[in-house]
Amino acid sequence: MNAPSLGGFLGAACLIVIVTLAAGAARHALPEAVAILLFLTAVLVNAALFGLWIGIASAFGALIGFNLMFVEPHFTLHISQPRDLITLAVFLLVAGMTGVISGRLREQVDAAHARAAALEVLSQFSSELAQARTSSEVAAGAVRGLHALARGPAVALAPHEGKLRLIAAEPRQFLPEARELEAADIAFRRGRPEFASAQGWHGSRLTFYPVSGNGAPGPVLGHARIPSDRRDHGWRGRAIDVILRQTGLTMQRLALADEAEAERRRATAEELRAALLASLSHDLRTPLATILGSVTTLRELRETLPPAAQSDLLSAIEEEAERLARYVEKLLQLTRLQAGAQINMAWVDAGDAAQAAVTRARRSWPQARIETAIPPLPMIRAEMGLLEQAVFNLIENAVKYAPGTIRVSGAVQGRTLVLAVADRGPGLPGAVVEWLASDTMTRVKELPGLGLQISKGIALALGGRLAQPPSAAGTRLEIRLPVAEEPGA
Amino acid sequence: MNGRQTILIVDDEPQIQRFLGHALVAAGYQTLLASDGREALAVVAAQEPDLMILDLGLPDMNGKEVIERLRLRSDLPVIVLSAHDQEMEKIMALDLGADDFVSKPFGIGELLARLRASLRPRRAARPEMIRQDGLSIDLAAHRISRDGEALRLTPKEFDLLAALALNAGRVMTHRRLLELVWGPAHVDDVPYLRVFVGQLRQKLERDPARPSLILTEPGIGYRWAQPELGEI
Repeated sequence: MNAPSLGGFLGAACLIVIVTLAAGAARHALPEAVAILLFLTAVLVNAALFGLWIGIASAFGALIGFNLMFVEPHFTLHISQPRDLITLAVFLLVAGMTGVISGRLREQVDAAHARAAALEVLSQFSSELAQARTSSEVAAGAVRGLHALARGPAVALAPHEGKLRLIAAEPRQFLPEARELEAADIAFRRGRPEFASAQGWHGSRLTFYPVSGNGAPGPVLGHARIPSDRRDHGWRGRAIDVILRQTGLTMQRLALADEAEAERRRATAEELRAALLASLSHDLRTPLATILGSVTTLRELRETLPPAAQSDLLSAIEEEAERLARYVEKLLQLTRLQAGAQINMAWVDAGDAAQAAVTRARRSWPQARIETAIPPLPMIRAEMGLLEQAVFNLIENAVKYAPGTIRVSGAVQGRTLVLAVADRGPGLPGAVVEWLASDTMTRVKELPGLGLQISKGIALALGGRLAQPPSAAGTRLEIRLPVAEEPGA
Repeated sequence: MNGRQTILIVDDEPQIQRFLGHALVAAGYQTLLASDGREALAVVAAQEPDLMILDLGLPDMNGKEVIERLRLRSDLPVIVLSAHDQEMEKIMALDLGADDFVSKPFGIGELLARLRASLRPRRAARPEMIRQDGLSIDLAAHRISRDGEALRLTPKEFDLLAALALNAGRVMTHRRLLELVWGPAHVDDVPYLRVFVGQLRQKLERDPARPSLILTEPGIGYRWAQPELGEI
């Protein structure tokens, strides 16, 4: 059971002394039975307020007080009458039982409170965990929980480039000292808890626990010692264990989710590459077959070919060679984009990307009418070159297939950033609209060239999509990308 | 030549149809055009061409399906045009009864050679003798000699030789050869076939390391060299 506090002891002693003095002063008017009840009440109050041990001590205190005031000879602890000895014995029995029972009651109430408080911290923590998307959010939640439970500073440190860095602290201004960092480092490297040094010793003030995140080194959590003289010490310790365990599990979950996300990105990139390869092999093969076939026909069958057929074969060669040149151009762009295959996400101003694409398009097609409506846009996670290419391809498509003005615009819709290219052309074939709505990269026959496909691939690779909202006239294609939280926001 | 033979070109690319049209007309054939499998089957039924050039990458059905449906009612010779990434489809098309293939891109000479080989009547009353490159193959008597000198072949070797030589200029898939010589139970025993072809080359070829009679079509099968015009 919990040790009584000095304050409780003094308070209890005061009450007994007051009752003794008051009862002593009024002892001529006061019947002995009433005095006994007064003393028992004091014992009851003490036990209820301060717990079992003080309750028992109060019982003895009350015995002494009663002996002093009501047992002959008065004001001494001597007992002259054997009858009084029996009275005192019964008094002690009743007072002791009163102290024990009400003290127990008190401790049960305390334990219930402690349990409730610990549970409240845990429930708060688990609701934070459920919403946590990153390991630093998890660490911050764990640190708040540890702070509430240990009633002292709590910190989380995570490995970064070989060294532990502070990622969360509660209270926020708390800074671990060198001795704490050393203890955290030991816990991290050895993979087992490093306990705080005893009070008065010059060691770490915090106990550190390593949290493993699915094999990968996870953060180290530190919390203050729980004062062992507190009654609810046990409950808090157990709640802290729960927090440490849950943090480890959540870190594992996040690590797995990260892995799955990386896998998904890899698969998308792979699919993109396969689709591009299929498209290229299709688009390159026909011109090549036409050119080679026409040339060999001209060479081997020249005598029997009528002049009109010869000139038709020559123009076929010319057209196909030009077509080939355009594909090779695009192929080179793609190779540049795909060099390294992984996407280097950075904070990018989407408006700049759209503007750069427009500038490039105006250079390529000086006769095209391209107007822009690009307000300041939030930064997003993307790769500048890819994003610009995606917008450029949409403009190229519009220039090729739609007469009239082309409008390039940017907007934010909720948590989505939209870069749109709209034209007043004949619109897309139904099969292409369906293809746009699907997740697949595999091209459909109706797709005009590689541009749309590349744009869709880029949008997917950047975690967004290429969409075609219904529009009254012409085509409106939107690159829709998620707006991420800005760093530090 | 028995009049102008009619070739049906089945390809969805207008550019391919364009040059093939000019080339085949200049080479003395008549041409018919179809741009998908359904149309091709309809043209075959209505106009009875002498040969079909079939692109394997059609929009409506794959080449395999066209050949399957065609073979239900016709043994019209079929030459498939294939790309390098359609290897499996090409082999299936050949096993299903396509006569030969040309890989894109191709020179017109290659296609015309395949055309001529496939247009030669297949069952022209099995010849008694095949003479080519100094070899005399007496199919009736199961005798073979080179430059007058008799060569000794096992019965299986002779069967394999006959299967190849009777289809001179045409590709014979592994499966087809195995079925013809060893029977349907052995259609997958490609290593077996390779051993026999090696033995045949040792006995027949002037330089077995650089065969000029039994040509390898990698991954597909073997082809008996097209005889020079005037031979046979």
